[in-house]
Parts: sequence; C-alpha cells; structure tokens
Amino acid sequence: MDVVNTQVKGLGSEGKAPPFFDGFTKMMLIIMIVMELAIFASAKYMSSHKMAGGGTDDLVNNLASATKVNGEHHPFVELPGDSELSAFSVANFFAGVIVGYNWLRLFGAKPQQGRKEDN
Amino acid sequence: MHIEDGILSAGACVGWYAATAVFVIPGVYEIKKRIRENLSYKPFLAMVGVAVFVISAMHLPVPVTGSCSHPCGTALAAIIIGPFATAVVSTIVLFFQAIFFGHGGITTVGANTFSMGICGGLSGWAAWKALRALNCPIWLAAGVAGFAGDLITYLAAAFELALSLHGQVPLVKQWMIFFMGYGPTQLPLAIGEALFTSAVLLAMMNRRPDLLPQVFAKKAVAQVPLREQA
Repeated sequence: MDVVNTQVKGLGSEGKAPPFFDGFTKMMLIIMIVMELAIFASAKYMSSHKMAGGGTDDLVNNLASATKVNGEHHPFVELPGDSELSAFSVANFFAGVIVGYNWLRLFGAKPQQGRKEDN
Repeated sequence: MHIEDGILSAGACVGWYAATAVFVIPGVYEIKKRIRENLSYKPFLAMVGVAVFVISAMHLPVPVTGSCSHPCGTALAAIIIGPFATAVVSTIVLFFQAIFFGHGGITTVGANTFSMGICGGLSGWAAWKALRALNCPIWLAAGVAGFAGDLITYLAAAFELALSLHGQVPLVKQWMIFFMGYGPTQLPLAIGEALFTSAVLLAMMNRRPDLLPQVFAKKAVAQVPLREQA
C-alpha cells in the first residue's frame, strides 16, 4: 500500500499541476483564521479588562510552592525573550510536516483507488 | 498540569515514575502488537504523537477567567492508538516539552505523564468504549471522551499536588483548592476538546473507516487487517 506514490503518479500522468487552493486548503485556512480571530478577540478582551492572561499551570505551580516551607519551583529550562517563540515555531513547523506526510499516506487516496493501483 | 521541578518531593517524583512505568511498559508491547496487526498503525502513531505534542503545548486564552490553558489530546490519542500506547507517547511528549520549552520538569515527567497520558487517556478511552457499547453515536461518544479526558487530567494533576503538599489540611480540601486553580479555565477548553475529538473521529469515519477497524468496528467497511486485505 504505497498511497504517496500512487498519488504522485496520478498527478503526473494526468499532466495537471497539483491544485494548491483546493477545498481542503480552503477549509483549513478558514478554521485557522476563525481560531486566530477567536484568540485575538479573547486576548483583546482580557487586555481591556486588565486581566493577567497567565497560564493556569503557572498559577497552580505558584500556589503549590506557596504551601511549602522553602517553596521554589522552576522549569527544567527557562527560555529567555523570543527564544520560546523560536522553539515553538521550529517544533510546529516540523510537526506540520510530519502530520502532512502521514496524512497523505493515510487519507491521500480512497481505499478502492489504493487497491486498484496495488493490483 | 505541567508540574515543574522543585514542587513535588523526591519520594513523590519516584513514586509517580514507578506508577507511570506500570502503564508505559505494557504500552510498548501494545505498540509492537498493533504494528503487526495493522499496517496503518505506524503512521497514526506518528501523527498522534505530534498532535499530542502540539495540542498540549497550545495555550489558549479563556476570557471568562482571564487566564490561559491548554487542551491535552490524550483522549483522542487513546481512542486511535490505544490507552497504553498513549502513555508511551505522552512520556516522550512531556520529556521533549520539558527540555525544549520549559513546560514541566524532568523530575516530574512521571507525575505529568500519569495525569495527562494515563488518567486523561484511560478515562477518555473508557468513556468512548462504554458509550459505543451502549450504541451511542460516534459524535456523542467521542465528545464525552474528549471532555472527560481533559477534565480528569486536571483532576489528577491537582490530586498529585495535594497528595504531596496537603500537610495538616484535609487531602480532599487541598485537592479541590488546587483543582479550582485549573477548573474554571479548563471547563470551556474541555468543551472545545469535546468538539475537536468528535470532529476528528467523524472525519476519519467518513473518509477511511477501514484504516481503524478496531475503533470503528461496528461500521467499518473492511474489518480485517490491511495485511490480510493485501
């Protein structure tokens, strides 16, 4: 079952360029924009109401530390400045590549199509 | 639920590592077994591992409470790849989050895995199995699994903290104090996770139910492993 190869062969043999703005891409972009807008609106609301917007993990970690006599907590690494953003960007980029690669292998072709090519 | 280094005592850290190992070791065997049974299991394992990594690091703002928190994705993972395999995946995810992002700690990987990967995964999987056995539709069973998995993760994390730190305060009272730090923000996110889990499983059911014959056993097009189909 080599779905990736059959997909690529199929596109090449028909002599058509792969669609870059098809239904799937549109749907993903719509979901992404809706989520980004929701995050933006939530953050704006919190900012305008002077809410801290911190993480609950940190809040509870601080609360837990306060119950100890010599309470100090610390993450394993503390990323300064924008380096946390860099770490997230790199991780999410490669996460996207891995998910996309496996998505194509699994959902790139209908089962009938895959079996026909296999035969 | 990302408990950091320095909060739990050394004994508690070792204890949670040991408790996690009880689920991780059968998880390794579950992965090996399922890889032999289903050719599509490895790609799912890779996708689910990456998805749990991203979802559990994605802090979303909740304007109702004025704070941020993250969903977990382990209920969905447990349904797709199995509850014990989810424990293995969560251990790896939480280790990398600790060393790269500063989310959680190294000494607390056991405790964090126990709350997110084991309690969250197992409760979501159990809810899914129970509701599917009662012939509930996929969207409902998946939604309840996502919701339960999310909230139980945070209940477990609060319990871990309370167990170590309650001192003279009654355990249940301290547990609820810690949970109230998580709960109000987590509730809307748990509803979001329920919708997400439903949407993903419905999409998979509509697109390729044959890839996961164990998950969609009642409606699968082909219920035999792919190796046998070929």
